[in-house]
Amino acid sequence: MKNSIKVERAKKNITQAELAKLAKVSRQTINAMELGKYVPSTVLALRLAQIFGVEISEIFTLEDSDWD
Amino acid sequence: MKLNFLFPNKFKRIGWFTLIPSAIIGLLILIYEYEPSFLDFNVPAIFVDELTFTANKKTFRMVTNNILNEILGILIIISTFLVAFSKEKSEDEYISKIRFESLAWAVYFNYAILILTFLFIYDFAFLWVMVFNMFTVLLFFIVRFNWQIFKLKRISL
Repeated sequence: MKNSIKVERAKKNITQAELAKLAKVSRQTINAMELGKYVPSTVLALRLAQIFGVEISEIFTLEDSDWD
Repeated sequence: MKLNFLFPNKFKRIGWFTLIPSAIIGLLILIYEYEPSFLDFNVPAIFVDELTFTANKKTFRMVTNNILNEILGILIIISTFLVAFSKEKSEDEYISKIRFESLAWAVYFNYAILILTFLFIYDFAFLWVMVFNMFTVLLFFIVRFNWQIFKLKRISL
């Protein structure tokens, strides 16, 4: 799954640490998601969408490999 | 979501402070077979199989036993649990995922090692394997989990 967390974060001009605090997770988790190493839970994905004020599908996109 | 089987973060420190001394003392009394007589007590036993030539099996009796190894064994297990299953300072869903993956890894690793010892360690030496194997699954978990967390913190510097 691809995500545009880094882009959304740049638009809002906030750091990983600030986003982590808003989303109530560790900074490592934000970093791991931006690197595509971790797929967040639905709850965390919804929190991020709410923080950025966008639809969840604007942040997260399925890839072909997600159907394997 | 809220039920995660974890202790609060501060218990981790308590765990380490108990685990290290009790593991060292436990190892020493195992090696030197130290049994101080003031810890000899009559204790209730469900099953006793005395190491004698008459194969004296008893059930539901009182037996005289030195309780030092019981005390240390329990202390080691409880403190290992505190170290293994106390929350990280920033426990979140990703840390929990790493935690449970490490636990699965540790179970595989522990039993792989046990199979190797089945094949290559025999007779009385195997008793030592069994003694250590009581504690190793959690110890392997602690090492694996902390290594993964260390790596995670390093890549996200």
